[in-house]
Amino acid sequence: MMTATHATPLLSGEYSASSGVAVDVSGTSTSSDTQRDIDFEREALPWLDDVYRFALSLTRDDADADDVVQETYLRAYRSWHTFVPGTECRRWLFTICRNVFLRSRERQRSTVDLDDGEQDAVAAGSVYAAARERGYDHLYATLDLAPALSEALNGLAEPFRSAVILVDVEDMTYETAAQVMGVPIGTVRSRLFRGRRLLQEKLLTVAEDLGFSTASAGER
Amino acid sequence: MSAPAHAPLDDLGLSSNCLEVLRHLWDYLDEELTPEGAERLRVHIESCPQCKAMEVYQACFLDTMRKLRAQFSAPNELRARLAEKLRSQGCGCWEKVSGERP
Repeated sequence: MMTATHATPLLSGEYSASSGVAVDVSGTSTSSDTQRDIDFEREALPWLDDVYRFALSLTRDDADADDVVQETYLRAYRSWHTFVPGTECRRWLFTICRNVFLRSRERQRSTVDLDDGEQDAVAAGSVYAAARERGYDHLYATLDLAPALSEALNGLAEPFRSAVILVDVEDMTYETAAQVMGVPIGTVRSRLFRGRRLLQEKLLTVAEDLGFSTASAGER
Repeated sequence: MSAPAHAPLDDLGLSSNCLEVLRHLWDYLDEELTPEGAERLRVHIESCPQCKAMEVYQACFLDTMRKLRAQFSAPNELRARLAEKLRSQGCGCWEKVSGERP
């Protein structure tokens, strides 16, 4: 597990606060219910695609994802009074989504014992070395690996998948992802690095299967 | 097929000065470093062909990851079902369940 000793001078001691959406709550000319609907429409509904994508990454099943998204939005609507204006609604929705998913599977939050995230960061260098050794330096620029990456991501085990989805696909900061997942930032970092390394290893295998190495070897 | 074997880090030709980049390249690309730390890595990366190549490789990987975002959107059937559920809850904006991003 990551420990405090891994925080180096390079890393920010306090991760910058996520930029919340500024919400004007000054309008009081409507009833509270109507205002709630207006706020909900403005703040929550635009993130439907994002929540769906996250739910799909968790469930890996279209129908299950639909159910999780629906329950997420119903809970969000019913609990709208607990949303703090000015904070990130997407993060709030993702947190609900993850909780809905975990409860739907009656699954306890993962307690996977993870290795040092730094080891995984260094290991990424080893994966790069393996890629370079095979002449794959320009692998991502040469091949359309998005379909293979999507499949590899689908096969990635939790909790690594959530970390990769939230940071790499949804472009969240480590801090925001940590809040969604309910874990320390160091844990997100560790899971993220492990997930990326596993994906890259998988993609090297895919590239080999596609014959990418053969073509490259001829140039070397 | 099994995962590709890791090549020894020695094969990268990295000096000890490059190890800092190795440890923190992901943090750097994720913009999670302090400004001072990021600048220190940037200066080294720009002067070191090995680290620069690794940075480009990993940045391309992250670009590919980000492109996945455009591949999935909530299906119309889900939107219709959710709209109906919200309507039954008394939500006045149920008709506005759309795919528009902010």
